[in-house]
Amino acid sequence: MGVQRGGRRIAVMAIVLGVLTVACHGTSTGKSSPSAGAGATFTYDVTSQVMIGWDPATGYSNEVIAMNNMYEQLTRYDSTTQQVTPLLATSWQSSPDGLTWTFTLRSGVKFHTGRTMTSEDVKASIDRTIKLNGGAAYIWGPVDSIDAPSPDTVIFHLKYPAPLDLIASADYAAYIYDTRAAGSEDLAKWFEQGHEAGTGPYELDQWNKGQEIELRLKAFPDYWGGWNGPHYTRYVFRVTPQATTAAQLLRSGQVSMVERMTPQLWQTFQNQNGFTTTDDPSWQTLLAMLNTSYGPLADERVRQAVASAIDYQGMISALHGGAEQISGFVPPGLWGHVEDLPNPTYDPQRAQQLLAQAGYGPGGKPMTLTLTYVQGDADEELVASLMKSDLAKLNITVDVRPLAWPAQWAKAKSSNPADRQDILLFYWWPDYADPYSWFINLFHTESKPYFNLCYYSNPRLDHMIDTVESEAATDRHKAIATYKEMQELLLKAAPALSLYTQVYQRAMLSSVKGFVENPAYPNVVFAYDLTPG
Amino acid sequence: MIRYVVRRVALAILVVAGVVVLTFVIARVVPGDPAVSWAGPHASRAEIARVRHDLGLDRPLPVQIGRYFIGVLGGDWGTSIHTHRPVLSDIMDRAPASIELVLVALLFSLVVGIPLGLVSAKWPGKTADGVIRVGAVLGVSMPAFWLALILQLVFFQRLHLLPVAGQYDPNLDYTHPLTQYTRMVLVDALVTGNWSVLRSAAAHVVLPALVIASYPLGVITRMVRASVLDSVGEDHVRMVRSLGFPERSVFGRFALKLALNPVIAVVALVFAYSLANTFLVEAIFDWPGLGSYAADSISSLDTPAIVGVTLFVAIVYVLANLIVDLVQAWLDPRIALR
Repeated sequence: MGVQRGGRRIAVMAIVLGVLTVACHGTSTGKSSPSAGAGATFTYDVTSQVMIGWDPATGYSNEVIAMNNMYEQLTRYDSTTQQVTPLLATSWQSSPDGLTWTFTLRSGVKFHTGRTMTSEDVKASIDRTIKLNGGAAYIWGPVDSIDAPSPDTVIFHLKYPAPLDLIASADYAAYIYDTRAAGSEDLAKWFEQGHEAGTGPYELDQWNKGQEIELRLKAFPDYWGGWNGPHYTRYVFRVTPQATTAAQLLRSGQVSMVERMTPQLWQTFQNQNGFTTTDDPSWQTLLAMLNTSYGPLADERVRQAVASAIDYQGMISALHGGAEQISGFVPPGLWGHVEDLPNPTYDPQRAQQLLAQAGYGPGGKPMTLTLTYVQGDADEELVASLMKSDLAKLNITVDVRPLAWPAQWAKAKSSNPADRQDILLFYWWPDYADPYSWFINLFHTESKPYFNLCYYSNPRLDHMIDTVESEAATDRHKAIATYKEMQELLLKAAPALSLYTQVYQRAMLSSVKGFVENPAYPNVVFAYDLTPG
Repeated sequence: MIRYVVRRVALAILVVAGVVVLTFVIARVVPGDPAVSWAGPHASRAEIARVRHDLGLDRPLPVQIGRYFIGVLGGDWGTSIHTHRPVLSDIMDRAPASIELVLVALLFSLVVGIPLGLVSAKWPGKTADGVIRVGAVLGVSMPAFWLALILQLVFFQRLHLLPVAGQYDPNLDYTHPLTQYTRMVLVDALVTGNWSVLRSAAAHVVLPALVIASYPLGVITRMVRASVLDSVGEDHVRMVRSLGFPERSVFGRFALKLALNPVIAVVALVFAYSLANTFLVEAIFDWPGLGSYAADSISSLDTPAIVGVTLFVAIVYVLANLIVDLVQAWLDPRIALR
């Protein structure tokens, strides 16, 4: 009995398998399937889940690569001209003291909900973002109150002078949205169910949580910019964690553009018929924070010796085009960037002399330094091992410890200075197009360490940091001069080494025209600005 | 029999609870604050403190575990740190894809493995037996990631026969949208008669399923061979043979019947094992299952998600064990008496 039943079951299984096999036969493979990149659909292949959160007030992760196509800010930063350009606001001006900012709004802007945007909506969305105080909402810290005296005018009153035109252009927390979109429902809950209420060129079509094709957007017919001329009218986000798979998808034309590949894979698309590649510096700078308060690196001579002991060029070439050396700490494309600053150079002899003065180096006292970096980051791992071998030549032993970021940070913030690392590798980037972020966070005196993980304290530098934002609000040229002075000071005192900035290596179908990298909006592709070829 | 069932179920619950406590403690002992991952890279002190409080991370560990258990009983498995969504719904979204993959792999292993085992047992020591046994050992010991890459290289890169990754051609979502009932694409496509998606999904499942099948295929083949050889030597089979039944029936019916018991046991265990084994394979084939979810959870110190996935796999494991125990007890009443 049992055998017969079993036999029948196996027979059924065999039939099902047979059906599957037949079904497989003649199935089109990736090679022959219709190209999603052609025509009016732009398919952006990204490495990880897109929509982490849906609330435009608190969105602070990967979702901004989609939100920047569904929502808009008052202004946009143009990294090519290093200027702020109009978006939802057509013009703006600040009072001479930098405390009052008046924005004139574009007329005829519609939300995806159908309502027309007015100054009341601008006030309501920024007020709500400030009130929720999640994600990057702190960028609005200077704002005291917002007025909407007429439908096309918004006035910001600040507590202290700040460059509000830059803040308003931020990658996140600066979106203008319809706060009445949910009607009587709770707006935050409504967003989290997978809704949007922006003014951007694309509106939500479909969201498939956790699926490979995670998100589809479609052209918003009433977009203020209009749809004359060639535009992509559909925008698909496809999630492919494996770089090799992403490369295969691009090669077979199933995606239009790949967010990130390994340099080796990216090179296979260079000078290839049918593909375009770009490599532009990002604002993701890798820093080595040196412990200025405890251990051997508290001695400025030792820090300078370490700065001279590292083969920067060798490091860059080991990264195969994935990184670019920068002058100073502010990356290119961001105002405040200054070319030809006195960066440290590879000079082992100088390093040896400085170490000898401090009693270390070959023949002197041996030195051991702990270095922490973010586990799983292949670039940081490479940098750590190169630094280890460069310093080993100078009788310095580096104890390299990969840690998950929360653990690395916890160690760096230890209340006992002896528990902290000597060298910490991490990336820093600004939350809006302002170099202020590096200086206030990384180098301003902190009573308890938070992001100043070199534990550096310099009253002269503190004073410059405290005044530079108001200079940026009123006289940007003066602010640029201050940023130059601060960078020179930091390069000399060497509390941190500015190792390099990451390079965005993108590959796309050559039918995608008009792509310009804007590092102020990391990994965002503004599909409206592209032309399908 | 009832006492036996109660004992097994109670033991199963205890095991699952133990696994949860262990995972929870290990995940929390690892240095680092999950709130940091939640709050985002440049979050302020106040923001992180608020998140810690919201997530209940500022409470003592036993309280956190206690609250977690109460939550689990009520269907609340916590909120994932990296997706910011309920863990249970994340798992329910992802698990069907993994289960579908494993089921296809097991089906293949059974359909191929049982005949191979029988052939092997029929002519022990002969060339066919040798080839099958070597193949079985290879299948069991082959590293999955290596096999996966080789198959991709051959069937996608060289032969252009099968797609390289994914669950089905995503362009079909435009032309032939799939209505989802079970979230298992093959099943949904079959039920709704969506032949385009079915064809595409079937082509996509072949390579990952083959990779996952390599282990169970080896195990099943060897198990069938060994137990058939065992039972062939037993009196009643010798008697059947002496009664003049054709050799085919002797093997295919009488010997196999006895041999099937241990095979059933092994299949259930291999199913649970394969569910965890898919993690690596899913990463390579971009399969939208539990594996990629688990990998993301680990890299962001996502305790609720890590514990959730572990709990899910533990439940499947324990359920598989339980079913084996009960089926065996039902087939062979002597077991329940032990």
